[in-house]
Amino acid sequence: MTNPVSALHGQTESGRYGEPGDVGILLGEVKEFCIFQLAAWPETITAIGKVATTAANAAKVPKPGKMVKGKKADLLRVEPLKWWIVAEGRSTALVPAIDAKKGCGLDLSHSRAWVKINGAKAESMLNHFLPIDLRPESFPNDTVVTTAFHHTGVTLWRGDRGFNLLLPRSFSVSLWEQLHESALQYGLEVL
Amino acid sequence: MTAIRLEKRGRIDPNSPLTFTWDGKKLAGYEGDTLASALLANNEQVLGRSFKYHRPRGIMSAGVEESGAIVSIGEGNRHEANVKATTLELYEGLVANGQNAWPNVRTDVGAINGLFSRFFSAGFYYKTFMGLPPFEWGSGTWLWMQYEKLIRKAAGMGTASREPDPDCYDHAHAFCDVLVVGSGPAGLHAAHSAAKAGKDVILVEQDFELGGDYLNQMSGEAESKRVSLIKALEKAGAHIMTRTTAFGLYDYGTAGLLERVTDHHSIKSKFQPRQRFWTVRAGATILATGALERTFAFGNNDRPGIMTVSSAKTYLNRYGVLAGRRIVVSTNNDSAYSTAAELAAAGAHTVFLDARESTNKANTSMLESAGAELRNGFAPLEAAGSKGIHGVQLASVDGKGWRASEYESCDLLLVSGGWSPVVNLLSHRGVKPVWNAEQACFVPAKSDEAIAMAGSAAGIWDTARCEQSGEIAVKQLLGSENTGSLPKPGDLKSKIKPVYEISVPGKKIKSFVDPQHDVTADDIRLAHQEGFVSVEHLKRYTTLGMATDQGKVGNVIGLALMADALGKEIPEVGTTTFRPPYTPVSIGALTGRNTGTHFKPLRRTPMHEWNLRNNAVMTDAGLWHRPWYFPAKGETISEAYVREATISRQTVGICDVSSLGKIAVQGPDASEFLNRIYTNAFAKLAIGKARYGIMLRDDGIVLDDGTTWRLSENDFLMTTTTAHAGKVMVWLEELLQVRWPDLKVHVTSVSDQWGAVSIAGPKARDTIATCLENANSISAENLPFMGVKPIRLKGEIDGLIARISFSGELAYEVYVPAGYGDAMMDLLWPAVKAAGGCLYGLEALGALRIEKGHVTGAELDGRVSIDDAGLGSMASKKKSYIGSSLQQRPEFLREDRPRLVGIFPKDRKQTFNGGSILCRSEKVSGHGDGWITAVTHSPALGHWIGIGYMSGGHELWTGKNVIAADPVRDSEVEVEIVSPHMFDAKGERMHD
Repeated sequence: MTNPVSALHGQTESGRYGEPGDVGILLGEVKEFCIFQLAAWPETITAIGKVATTAANAAKVPKPGKMVKGKKADLLRVEPLKWWIVAEGRSTALVPAIDAKKGCGLDLSHSRAWVKINGAKAESMLNHFLPIDLRPESFPNDTVVTTAFHHTGVTLWRGDRGFNLLLPRSFSVSLWEQLHESALQYGLEVL
Repeated sequence: MTAIRLEKRGRIDPNSPLTFTWDGKKLAGYEGDTLASALLANNEQVLGRSFKYHRPRGIMSAGVEESGAIVSIGEGNRHEANVKATTLELYEGLVANGQNAWPNVRTDVGAINGLFSRFFSAGFYYKTFMGLPPFEWGSGTWLWMQYEKLIRKAAGMGTASREPDPDCYDHAHAFCDVLVVGSGPAGLHAAHSAAKAGKDVILVEQDFELGGDYLNQMSGEAESKRVSLIKALEKAGAHIMTRTTAFGLYDYGTAGLLERVTDHHSIKSKFQPRQRFWTVRAGATILATGALERTFAFGNNDRPGIMTVSSAKTYLNRYGVLAGRRIVVSTNNDSAYSTAAELAAAGAHTVFLDARESTNKANTSMLESAGAELRNGFAPLEAAGSKGIHGVQLASVDGKGWRASEYESCDLLLVSGGWSPVVNLLSHRGVKPVWNAEQACFVPAKSDEAIAMAGSAAGIWDTARCEQSGEIAVKQLLGSENTGSLPKPGDLKSKIKPVYEISVPGKKIKSFVDPQHDVTADDIRLAHQEGFVSVEHLKRYTTLGMATDQGKVGNVIGLALMADALGKEIPEVGTTTFRPPYTPVSIGALTGRNTGTHFKPLRRTPMHEWNLRNNAVMTDAGLWHRPWYFPAKGETISEAYVREATISRQTVGICDVSSLGKIAVQGPDASEFLNRIYTNAFAKLAIGKARYGIMLRDDGIVLDDGTTWRLSENDFLMTTTTAHAGKVMVWLEELLQVRWPDLKVHVTSVSDQWGAVSIAGPKARDTIATCLENANSISAENLPFMGVKPIRLKGEIDGLIARISFSGELAYEVYVPAGYGDAMMDLLWPAVKAAGGCLYGLEALGALRIEKGHVTGAELDGRVSIDDAGLGSMASKKKSYIGSSLQQRPEFLREDRPRLVGIFPKDRKQTFNGGSILCRSEKVSGHGDGWITAVTHSPALGHWIGIGYMSGGHELWTGKNVIAADPVRDSEVEVEIVSPHMFDAKGERMHD
């Protein structure tokens, strides 16, 4: 059995970088994960929402721009008609069968790099690139947004342990380099 | 000017001495100094030279409005020109130099220009050098072009470093409920009020210390107020940004800020950015931006030793520098009195001139008790001195004018001609300031947006009322009840006397309105005489207000003089529009981190590292990095791609094609959707089949081409060209959301989900088969031409395979999830090698496709119809599709439309250039009859070939003499126009 190579393979060497003193930014790549997209038709939102919550083992269906943490996966409402089931590891058990009359499913597990960003300066560093109001009152835990990072569409959500960023795989090294460079000013630890 | 540093005065830290270099001379200053205050304390008077006349200039102010002390700082790659010494925070090891002078600002050869100043009046170069004998006869172009070079060389102030900038810069975004610009009495109170109300506040201050005018005041009360407000703000969690300038205001509460992060550091951290370019989005904005003190125009008013009254106060109370020992203070308003008293009390002999004929009792006694001498009805007529002043010829009021009066010795002349509120940021929002005749200044008009002005920026001069205005302005913007009314502009005890110029009949003096650009009062009058009546034209003709201070000091004087010349009032003349930036913004800050390899985000294929490990030379293809060629030892690019293309036709080649656009088209209406966007039929495409398709724009022009694979009843995988992937994705989204929302179709970009290779050549099938768990699954029977199916590569790698060909060979595209890209290559490459094959890159791919006459973005350039591209047979006549109507317009049906053709050199040993125009041999001129889009050496044909467009198509040109003309590279080659399908025209090889 062949193991897949993560999008940032060879780029994320663990260690302490940049300004000495306190570590302001913690960066890490989730190397193995799956993303499965569920898309509904306007009249089947409820039905597909149920499929999604079941797949993620989540308590409720997230509204647009929100995430619900399920027991099996995070369930992100990335568009009004689309959910992403995102989970660490390579679980194929998350992939539900869907009747085309109700909606569509699509595996996007290899299409993104998953970067976790934490630390006291995480908001500041992300705001060097993202034109999003990340203040906790505006962007509380479980908020999801699709935004632009150096003209590239990325998906961001805030979880219990900081920010999560899904970068398009082909752009991910370039964007990681920018995150890394910018984080140096705050004291960086790559996990 | 004999300035001295006073002990125990000011805010500088005497325990923190700093050394710096001025024009090669080592000097001392203190922490808390600006470069200007330190130079002043060191008695350096001549700090700059003016733009045209190279007149010596010294410190004129203590802030951003500075027009004299403009210097260059830093060395080598950190050299920076046009820095205002008055705003530059002093730091250890600072290196500063004079500019626009040779050999130095104290002795400048360029000062000879002053002797010819009468020839350098407004618009002088237009008048002097263009077609005017004796300089030039005739229409006046050639000689002007020569003069222009000299003029351009002389233009500008200082020189930028030609070395790459070693520093990095950041962009940043921030959000807040209330943005307060300026931390003076009004700004601090506004920020405090907002923070107290629980609002998220950003307070921005361009200075390195908070406090604005509080910093210039002697009283301990001002300082304790300042400190307690700052503490309260910090406690309330306000975001305080010093060394940050709000340079522009934009739509919806957006402000542009420039933060100077490390400019003041002696040792630059390699991790910290030099500056940050902030975009702040605020719910409400308070502009407490203060006011700038004006002077008035009088003879030699630009000499070192002449500055504004308020700047002398700043140097005295903030920096502990008494700027002169024998001082003449001249004013037309009350604000200068307290400063004069403080200067006198500090030990300067002070003569106070008030242009008004009387002074109120309080001010009179203030001067008397400080020992200053008051003279009413006087003003300076002409300063005496060159590199410093030693006296001033006075003028006294004579009815409505002035007459020459006595001479007064002095080493420092301070002038206050009134105050101009800094309305620039509000002006950026299109709010025109209103002339207030009572206060002799422009005051801000009310904005319809959530923006308010407070403090002296609103024309309020008294500190207590400024504080009050800050609080009220915030409350009003936040919609609080019972806020009270904002104080009205103006609160000085006696009325200001509008004075803009001091002159007496018959006396020729040179008085400056815009010192940095050497615009004089006479230039304004000359412009009027020459017919310039609009203030905007006046600005451009005379360059008034176009120097780095952007008219902060001179604009009002210029307008007043223009109004006087026109016999109008100032409001009738109007004012020029202030535009961003308020102060200069470095190019580096605008660029941020988007430089070098990050100028654009680079895209890498999943096999990028694998390609590099296998000796790929990469090239940019749009945002992508793609393998260009894989040189064997010692090979040039030409040798490498010819070898790669040859081997691919002989045995097998493998090429990374992951950059192709890939779009998942899903849903019960997916086939109907595809049928509407492609010119050919897709409704009945069978599962497990691929079809080549062309899509048009609405106007009938070809948008893109590619193959679409039917994976199941409701699932399609569309491929696009690398170049147009994004454009096609956006187009499909638009169609589904705007035109056909009834269709049950979802489109999702999966370009990054898959790693893809093309394996082409006679041995392609056999080679791939050795890598599959079931070799037979791709036999000719199981996977015919244009067949698609899932496969499993050895190592349990699941993927897709399609039998499609861009090279014209028996060829397959294999897709695996991107994470398995390397593994796929590790599997396929040994098999390719074993079959005698090779890796090939973009250059060989180009050669193979040109031989076949297959089009790419070079041919589908947004100008060609489907018939032009030779693909007309793919346009269905049975159905309607996007572009089907407009592709029938007469222009597209013309017989002489350029059509896709192939090109051979007549002499097969010759080559020709891509981009050449194709001309009939008897008329090698103009745009010709066609053009060449791409050229390659064809290994299959053994000579150079090209592809391009030719009027009417290749049949029309058979046997005719055609020239491939490249006038840019001075080349003409005789060519033959042939069918674009130059190799294996019947396509037998790929159907094998």
